[in-house]
Amino acid sequence: MQVKTFSTNTVRGFRQNWDQDTADGFRPNVAIVFSSVELDLTEVIAFLGQKGVRVFGSSSCGEFLYNSEGKVISEGGLVCCMMDLIPGSFDLGLFNGIGATSFELGKRAGNWAIKVFKDPAILVVASGLTIDGEQLVRGIQDVAGQDITMFGGLSGDDAHFKETIVFSEASAESNGAVLLVLDKSVYDVNGIATSGWVSIGADKIITSSEGNIVYTIDHEPALDVYKQYLDVRDEDLPQIGIEYPLLIRKKDPDFVLRAVLNVDREKKALIFAGTVPEGAVVTFSSSPGFEIIEHTKKKVNEFYEFSSRSDLLILFSCMARHSALGPAISEEIDEAWTKWNKPLIGFFTYGEIGNNYKNSCDFYNQTFTLVSIKQK
Amino acid sequence: MPVIFQSLIDELQNIKSSEEFAGSRERIMEDLLRMKTEHEKLNFRYERLNKEKNILSSLLTRTSADLKKVSENLKIRAEELSAILATIPAYVFFKDRNLNYLLVNKGFAELVGIPAEQIKGRSVKDIFLNYNSSDYFVTEQRVIDSGTAMYNVEEEVEYNGRLRWVNTNLAPIRNAANEIIGLIGISWDITERKHFESDLMHSKELAEAGTMAKNEFIASISHEFRTPMNGIIGLAEILKNTVLDEAQDDLLKGIVSSAENLLALVNDLLDFSAIEAGKMELDFHPFMLDRVLEDVFQVLNLKAREKSLGFSVIINEDVPKHLFGDSQRLRQIILNLTNNAVKFTEQGEIEIHIRLLNQAMDRALLRFEVKDTGIGIPPEAMNLLFKVFSRIKQKQHYLISGTGLGLSICKKLTDLMGGDIGVESVYGKGSTFWFTLPFELSGPRLENPYKNQPAVEVNYSGKKALVAEDNLINQKIVSFQLRRMGFEVELTDNGQAALEKFASMDFDLVILDIQMPILDGYQVAKAIRQQEKGTSAHLPIIALTANAMKGDRELYLEAGMDGYVSKPFTSEMLQQAIEFANKAAARKITP
Repeated sequence: MQVKTFSTNTVRGFRQNWDQDTADGFRPNVAIVFSSVELDLTEVIAFLGQKGVRVFGSSSCGEFLYNSEGKVISEGGLVCCMMDLIPGSFDLGLFNGIGATSFELGKRAGNWAIKVFKDPAILVVASGLTIDGEQLVRGIQDVAGQDITMFGGLSGDDAHFKETIVFSEASAESNGAVLLVLDKSVYDVNGIATSGWVSIGADKIITSSEGNIVYTIDHEPALDVYKQYLDVRDEDLPQIGIEYPLLIRKKDPDFVLRAVLNVDREKKALIFAGTVPEGAVVTFSSSPGFEIIEHTKKKVNEFYEFSSRSDLLILFSCMARHSALGPAISEEIDEAWTKWNKPLIGFFTYGEIGNNYKNSCDFYNQTFTLVSIKQK
Repeated sequence: MPVIFQSLIDELQNIKSSEEFAGSRERIMEDLLRMKTEHEKLNFRYERLNKEKNILSSLLTRTSADLKKVSENLKIRAEELSAILATIPAYVFFKDRNLNYLLVNKGFAELVGIPAEQIKGRSVKDIFLNYNSSDYFVTEQRVIDSGTAMYNVEEEVEYNGRLRWVNTNLAPIRNAANEIIGLIGISWDITERKHFESDLMHSKELAEAGTMAKNEFIASISHEFRTPMNGIIGLAEILKNTVLDEAQDDLLKGIVSSAENLLALVNDLLDFSAIEAGKMELDFHPFMLDRVLEDVFQVLNLKAREKSLGFSVIINEDVPKHLFGDSQRLRQIILNLTNNAVKFTEQGEIEIHIRLLNQAMDRALLRFEVKDTGIGIPPEAMNLLFKVFSRIKQKQHYLISGTGLGLSICKKLTDLMGGDIGVESVYGKGSTFWFTLPFELSGPRLENPYKNQPAVEVNYSGKKALVAEDNLINQKIVSFQLRRMGFEVELTDNGQAALEKFASMDFDLVILDIQMPILDGYQVAKAIRQQEKGTSAHLPIIALTANAMKGDRELYLEAGMDGYVSKPFTSEMLQQAIEFANKAAARKITP
């Protein structure tokens, strides 16, 4: 499959780049677009609709593109990957989540995916502020099976926490999901999800919660506990909540991280990016300095040993990593780009979805979730 | 960074002209950009660490407070646990994977008389002297290996010179990683309970022995009853064949009726003791249902007519005719219920009604009803009806004789045959006794051709019969009945004499009492068969016995006999037995 990529900061630049890259007769049928909410996405969608291209699009909290022409990490820009996938080996669906729970939305999307292909690989982006990523994953798995291959991320909005968007060539949704399904008999789709965050402090119990809203921790209002333990000011929330997620213990040594996406000051509740069940044992967590870069590099190298051939790399990297690592974030992205030396496109997310090698899919926060696509 | 700085300084210091600077400009710019990037990273890191300083410091402070709280809670918990362990009324111990004691409670330490701290690290054999139960070790090891708890492990141990029984529950202990790191055991002293159980067991054995003795006694007494009963019935039969006036005939009927009632009682007792002893065995065979009912009708119709009662048998058309089951026991139940109906009815009628309840494949469930228009049963007595020896305490019922065993035998027989039994009654108007029984269906060809065939008058003139019987009255009865059939009879009163006669004369039939002095009936039959060996001869031999238990027939056949007749018997019964034995013997003769 042929892949061309570009980055830009304007809609005009987007059109120019597209026309320039197709001047040689290249006719892409799928475009991956990760864009800041600052750009007029309706124009981008209208343009791509005219071109007859299927669009797998998401708003971002910063986007990046590493290719032979350079390395771009931007905020307020747009990155695009143009592909000519084999007709009949892919399909794309946009699902509106209004009036449905995230689990129900997942079931609807999953049902569609397994109707398209008996054994699909799913790439998914979902609205970061309205969709409970964990429930979305569970809904898809409920119909498509625990072992479904799936990678993706929750859309961002440059840390404004106001509106997150996913879009296709047909329309944009602030409460929905876009799925790109690939036929696994045609494409190899593999990846990893790794965080590096570590647990801090004593175990605590979630004593009252509902879905992704936590009301009390150890019988104290969740917002008060969070503020007291981290000594943060009210105005620092929810931004700082992305960087200091709760670590939910699973069967030792497994755990998942759940970042705070929003707060309900009236109810003194914390709203997380995924489900935090009542009775869960949790701790606070933190990134241990820049060591997480070394952790990621190690995992990337292990993955390369497992799957060294790729046509395209897509990276869903948690916005918290960007906040925690600053300019050093480029080091871990660079590691992946250098290894495979293939175009790498991605964005900083409000949550990640992925399999770890052959393990079943899960919903994460704080991770570096890298997926490799290779036509067989 | 310092290296880049120094090389940059050195390079700039060495530049002497603007041309030289222009030449190095690009490299110097590269170094400066690299320094800028590194500076930015360092700056970010510094700012972040600065920002994080407060957060991490707060987290650490809070965590430290949390840990202190947790530590205090743990201390409280430990004290609580220690108090529970000390006061729990049981012996509690924890062991490691090697089955050595880690911790024991106060009760345990007091039990073995060793301080708790000295028990730690020691095995059960170090604690309990003379301990040799390898089974217990296997049980504990199984708990460790399988990860499952074991309950009520009982063993006898010796401590302080005393033997005590303990009951122990064992459960594995797992760590946070779910690995088994040892086990916990909780024991109780059950010595008193064990002694109590032992006493109870002894009492039960005694009670069972008593019940067995009682049953054997009843069986034995019943057996002893049958011999004189044979005399009474037999002699009455002889008397019946003499010329009697009307009054004498009435007296004789009274004797026969009383003897029959007594015989029914003895039979009931025999059945009851057999059921109680679990020795009642059913004899399944193909039979025709209407034959069984004909039998019942013949037996009871006369009695019904004597009381001017109507008596009818209705078999619904869909009821299968050919069945497979114990026809004798079925007959016994119907006879018993119908006999009761006749007994307790003074006017009106008796009706036996048989319906098909269910038929599937080769099985049928039948319902038998015996309906009367008699005195009925008071409601308060309904529940007692099928219980042993229960008779209704009501004036009218006392006028009627009975043992109180009949219905309970019917109940036990229907239970044995997989059926149900019950009664519906309106006091003063009549009762309907019913029972249901499952049967397998059989084809007509499977029916035993020798069963239920009416005896026909036969003449055995010129035939010679040898009879060995030690009871003089019975000798008279048998010889009278045989002579009436035309036999010439040779009598002996013991087995030895019978064998001697057999050796010196030719006989056509041998009738042997089972219980005789010198040689019993079995021994004589075996000796005769031994002498016949190698010849084509097979003389018909009939056992004459007071034993009426099922299973006895097998013993007679095993001894080489061809048939048997139970005392007391009528001449018809004896004649049927002779015919049956003749046919059986004929089949065994080698041509």
